[in-house]
This record gives sequence, structure tokens and C-alpha cells, in this order.
Amino acid sequence: MDFFSSMRVSATGLDAQTTRMNTISSNIANSETTRTEEGGPYRRKDPLLAAETDRESFGEILQNELDENVQGVRVQEIVQDQRAPRMVYNPSHPDANEEGYVAMPNVNTVEEMANMISAQRSYEANITALNAAKAMAQKALEIGR
Amino acid sequence: MPSSGSSEDAACNLKSFWQGNTMENSGFDPTIGALNTALNLRLANQNVISGNIANADTPGYKTKKMEFEGALRDALGVGTELTPREGDPRHIVHRSTDAVEPEIYDDPNGVESLDGNTVNRAEEMARLTENQLLYDAAAEMLKKKLGMLKYSISEGGGNR
Repeated sequence: MDFFSSMRVSATGLDAQTTRMNTISSNIANSETTRTEEGGPYRRKDPLLAAETDRESFGEILQNELDENVQGVRVQEIVQDQRAPRMVYNPSHPDANEEGYVAMPNVNTVEEMANMISAQRSYEANITALNAAKAMAQKALEIGR
Repeated sequence: MPSSGSSEDAACNLKSFWQGNTMENSGFDPTIGALNTALNLRLANQNVISGNIANADTPGYKTKKMEFEGALRDALGVGTELTPREGDPRHIVHRSTDAVEPEIYDDPNGVESLDGNTVNRAEEMARLTENQLLYDAAAEMLKKKLGMLKYSISEGGGNR
């Protein structure tokens, strides 16, 4: 329980939001991709976030329940959106099926934009929290000066 | 960091961490001990708020809150029945801060969003700012108190 635990927690938040931003970029970049390594159109990806108790070392496990409640965040895994692909009528496309429909990625650009703004705001919030902890630490150093 | 210390050492460190009353017992201004405790509690609160902000997008995460005022009140022994009375100006009242363990609980008033998360970002930012300002205020007070102590130690000659 020190200033660094607050900073570590904020850093996990920054890390998670960066990963989120990366997947959003990937989704937007691949919003028209019809061919992937696993076959079929690109599928939207989403990071799955999970809370994790902040621990600097094994010794901290012995400490009190207060530390149990200071939780950072971690990207547990990146999951694929299981929504059905968008079917677009385009008979001249090389990946079109017999009826002339092409399976396009299940990416909704507007949704990605909204997620992007949310990720950006969360990132900024974590930065603010980190700066607040830093300012407090600096204030503490002034005591007795 | 105390990787080599035993669990007993850790418990001892922790106890002294929450006590923050070393100066208080030695007959100094008791406010110094109180401010010390307040700073420790503010720091703990800061860590809790940071955790909430980091988990603002975690599905199922519940906002954590710390009982600040109650913990400080316990620390200062205000409002408890077993406080010693100061019957004589020469009595030194020992206000125990041994048992300060702030209570952290899941906020029962949080509004759940679709993914089960109850973090309200705006509220957390407001609490973060409030906590920071009050930490600064306590640090400033402590600085002033120590400045006065320094002033008297140097018989009025030192800079405040």
C-alpha cells in the first residue's frame, strides 16, 4: 500500500485500454476483409477485461484485505464476435457464393467509433488518476521542507 | 519489497503504518498524529479510486468505496465510549490508532450497466479530485505544524 500501487493500477488500466484500442483499429482496418487465415470473412474482435488484485510481490499476499480490494485490470483474452457475417449482393466479387452474395465482416464502423471514444476517455481517466497519485507523492515530499 | 522479512515483520510494519501516532505519544501536538493517519487513509482511498477507474470497462466489476470518515473517527478515538478523560491539563490522553483498518465495500447504490459494471466514471473522477485536494490540504497542514515545531526548536530563529 503505497503510491506505487495506485500508479501500478493506473498503468494496468492504460495497458488494457491500449489493447482495446489496438483491437478497435484492427476491426476498422479489416471492415472489408473477406479472406482470413482461418477462412471466411474477418470476424470482429473484442478484448475481455478482468479485474485482478494488485500485487507487487509474493510477500504482499500475506498482507491485509485492504490490498485485496485494490484491483487492477488485465486483458484476459481476445474473443471473436459470433454475430453472423453481413451478406452483401455483389456477383462480380471473387468470394461471392452461387447466389451472388459475399460474406462481409460483422464489423459495424459506427459501433467501433463509439468504442474508440469510450477507450479514449478511459485512457484519459487513467492518466488523470496517475497524475493525481504523482501530485500527491510530490506533495508528501514537501512535508517538513 | 519486504521479500526477505517474515510474516511477523510484515504484520508489525503494517501496524506501525496504520498507527501513525509515534509523535503523538511523545507529547507533541496530537494533531500531527491525526494528520499522519489522515494522509495514510487518503492514500488508501486514492488506491481504491484508481482501481475503480482502471476497471471502468471490466464486466461485472462493482465500484469499491472506502469508509473514510468512520475510519478516521476510529483512529482518533472520537465518539467511542472508552476514551480516557482529561481531568487535568497534565494528563496525556492516548488516542489509540492501533486498530485502524478502513472498511472497503462494494457500493450498494451503484447503477448496473448491461455488463454488470457499476463504475460511474464522472463520479470516480470527482472523488479522485476531492481526495487529492484533501490529501494536499492535510499535507499542507502537517507542513505548517512541523514548521511551527521547527520554529520553536530554533528559538524563533529558523525559517518557518
